[in-house]
Amino acid sequence: MRRYLLSRMAQLVPVVFGVVTIVFLLIHLIPGDPVEIMLGESAVAAQKEELRRDLKLDRPIAAQYAEFLGGLATGDLGVSFRSREPVLREILSRFPATLLLAAASLLVAVSIAVPLGILSAMRRRSWLDHLSAFLAMLGLSMPNFWLGPLLILVFSIHLGLFPVGGYGTARHLVLPALTMGTGMAAILMRMLRSSLLEEIHREYVRAASAKGLSRRAAVLRHALGNSLIPVLTVLGLQFGALLAGSVITETIFSWPGIGRLTIQAIDARDYPLVQGCVLFIALCTVAVNLATDLLYSRLDPRIRYE
Amino acid sequence: MRDAARIFLAASLLAASAVAGCAPKLPIEEGTLVIALPGAPTSIDPRLATDAYGEQILQITHAFLVKRDTAGNPVPDLAESWEERSPTEIVFRLRKGARFHDGREVTSADVRYTFEWILDPKNRSPHRMTYDAISRIETPDPRTVVFQLKEPFAPFLVGMSRGIVPAGSGARGYSPVPGAGPYKVDDFRPDEAISLSRHDGYHGRTPAIAKVLVKFLPDSNVRFLELKKGSVNFVLNGVDPDLLPAALKNPNLAMEEAPGSNVSYLGFNLRDPILSDVRVRRAVAMAIDRETIVRTIWKGHADPADSILAPGFWAHAEGLPRIRHDPAEAKRLLDRAGYRDPDGDGPKPRFTLTFKTSQNELRRRIAAVLQEQLRQAGIAVEVQSLEWGTFFSDIKKGNFQLYSLTWVGIADPDIYHYAFHSAQVPPDGANRGRYANPELDRLVLAGRREPSRAKRKEIYRKVQHLLSRDLPVFPLWINRNLLLRDRRLAGFAITPDEDYTSVKDLRIEGRTAAPAGKGTP
Repeated sequence: MRRYLLSRMAQLVPVVFGVVTIVFLLIHLIPGDPVEIMLGESAVAAQKEELRRDLKLDRPIAAQYAEFLGGLATGDLGVSFRSREPVLREILSRFPATLLLAAASLLVAVSIAVPLGILSAMRRRSWLDHLSAFLAMLGLSMPNFWLGPLLILVFSIHLGLFPVGGYGTARHLVLPALTMGTGMAAILMRMLRSSLLEEIHREYVRAASAKGLSRRAAVLRHALGNSLIPVLTVLGLQFGALLAGSVITETIFSWPGIGRLTIQAIDARDYPLVQGCVLFIALCTVAVNLATDLLYSRLDPRIRYE
Repeated sequence: MRDAARIFLAASLLAASAVAGCAPKLPIEEGTLVIALPGAPTSIDPRLATDAYGEQILQITHAFLVKRDTAGNPVPDLAESWEERSPTEIVFRLRKGARFHDGREVTSADVRYTFEWILDPKNRSPHRMTYDAISRIETPDPRTVVFQLKEPFAPFLVGMSRGIVPAGSGARGYSPVPGAGPYKVDDFRPDEAISLSRHDGYHGRTPAIAKVLVKFLPDSNVRFLELKKGSVNFVLNGVDPDLLPAALKNPNLAMEEAPGSNVSYLGFNLRDPILSDVRVRRAVAMAIDRETIVRTIWKGHADPADSILAPGFWAHAEGLPRIRHDPAEAKRLLDRAGYRDPDGDGPKPRFTLTFKTSQNELRRRIAAVLQEQLRQAGIAVEVQSLEWGTFFSDIKKGNFQLYSLTWVGIADPDIYHYAFHSAQVPPDGANRGRYANPELDRLVLAGRREPSRAKRKEIYRKVQHLLSRDLPVFPLWINRNLLLRDRRLAGFAITPDEDYTSVKDLRIEGRTAAPAGKGTP
């Protein structure tokens, strides 16, 4: 296990290196000049050159890249061009909001998907199964930019139960988590249903039933655990995506997350901040994928990491 | 099992009713004003802030040497008077008793520090060039500041509307710097909100409202919903025209409309072989039906423009010839310019132009309407809607044929030097269309050196007539300022440049109908 972990950690290096290199090149290649954005249009060429020199943007891209990698090796992500705050502090100030929203959305998704997925698999072709298929279709087809305002209209304006937007209390979390969790729930529900149906018809479940175990017990105690592996894969991918932030949901609910920060950084051509955000998102994604892989062995003892 | 279900149902109902029943009062009912801005400021330091949102917050939190009235004239703020001893020496006399939020008295040393900090290259202030005319700042006594200029610079006084900070204040990322404005910053949460409370030592009339919360709400629908719910009470130019009728159905909301000063315009690339001909530019202008766009897209809340200066501004020229929508004349002009329609009213265009715009939804809709209107004159238009950084970079490089932008916050007619002088081609200026006219160059240089307001007005009258003839840009319309507010709020004076200074004059009056939502701020 330790060797496996070490080898996965070693794989991390080329992945992160690849990501930061691509992002570094892309952000430097797209049109738009951070110096002009910072100084505004009124600045004269000499002043811009001065700042460009000051920010070391006048040096060849290769030299800038080498310096960026050097900083990275010492944990220094630089200072944001636009806010003049250290990049790491900017990211860490947004991460709690992103993590909270991701975790709450996941909770919403799992709370909806697991019971409905199990019920629709156990009562295949019943009205409940059809209803959950309909709900899944609905969940998948509702985009966040529509669902978010709809939830605000119902739960905030008409029922007055939750705030329209903002961040700070549990009440602020409910609507954005529902917005992000609904679509994910639909995918997980259908995935769990089909995976569970496959397991239900296996011999060991039939054997458990033949030994006198009730159908519910056979499914819940034996089939469910084995059907979770593909669900876990999707769950891990979705959670990784949630940690990258959602610009749309964060914008609708004025949620100060990583997604909006990244977009603002790109708009301002804030190179250090863009690079920092993308690096952070890449690390989160890799960490979640690793955690998912490790959980496989928990769910299925046949999977061993040597 | 059935009992468990019943208990769960009862507990859920109890919890739901508790949540609904315990909803706190709306902020306005507790004396707090909630303002929504369509975006978050990058900085709330007057020496660094460049975006409109930062400037608007600074108008509430900081005091300036001078402010501007609705016609753009300087009026006293921290300076109770000023005198131009010569065209290069301006003396300000500070009012007595003005205090910063931390209790310190505002002195001439603070004024000098603020401007010297901006001028110091190592501080990288984006406002450095605005004050480039300053050669020396003297402070003969704590209430007198003398600015020595390198050369006469008429727009100097307008540039003095910059927030003053206490001497010794460093720039510390998002940390607020004390000001001497009517409200002080209690808490700034980037991308979320800023909490303000009344500054009891304010030198003007003490604000009636003790607490102000400014929320940064980038989504127009959400701003509208917050207003509807009552958790936001004040939105200036932040609700889409399409949503206004629905907002006005709410008995708790009132709308105020006043002239604006932000001018949208169509820019031409004068180095383009087709658009270098003024007849083609005029034909394009005549093919555009601005009244229809104002009526359908802006729902009537805009006025066609004839200059980049708004009609209420002191330097706006009267009697400028207005370009009317006349597709027949547009076609004749194009014929005369040698661009005949190859197949009459058939599908083949006379020529094709590229129109660049940002990804803003309203801008894209306007682009689609312009495309159709120009098609009717035989001009095919390819619309390119680009991400802001790419769009602006293309415009500055001259990589465009047509584009549309808005001039925001014009404080002095010296804008004509910046936007049309032949030496002001980007990156040094904003002459993006590469317009060159020696007569205009001479006039705008004279205008920035002329101390007499009357003579400047005459100079800029000629400038506006010249531009109206040459048409390097076609002024499209000026959006009116629209304030949606809670009915209980009174006292705000809307200025053409969307100034938030008057937030200090707001007061909450008597009660009105019950709030629309049950209320969770």
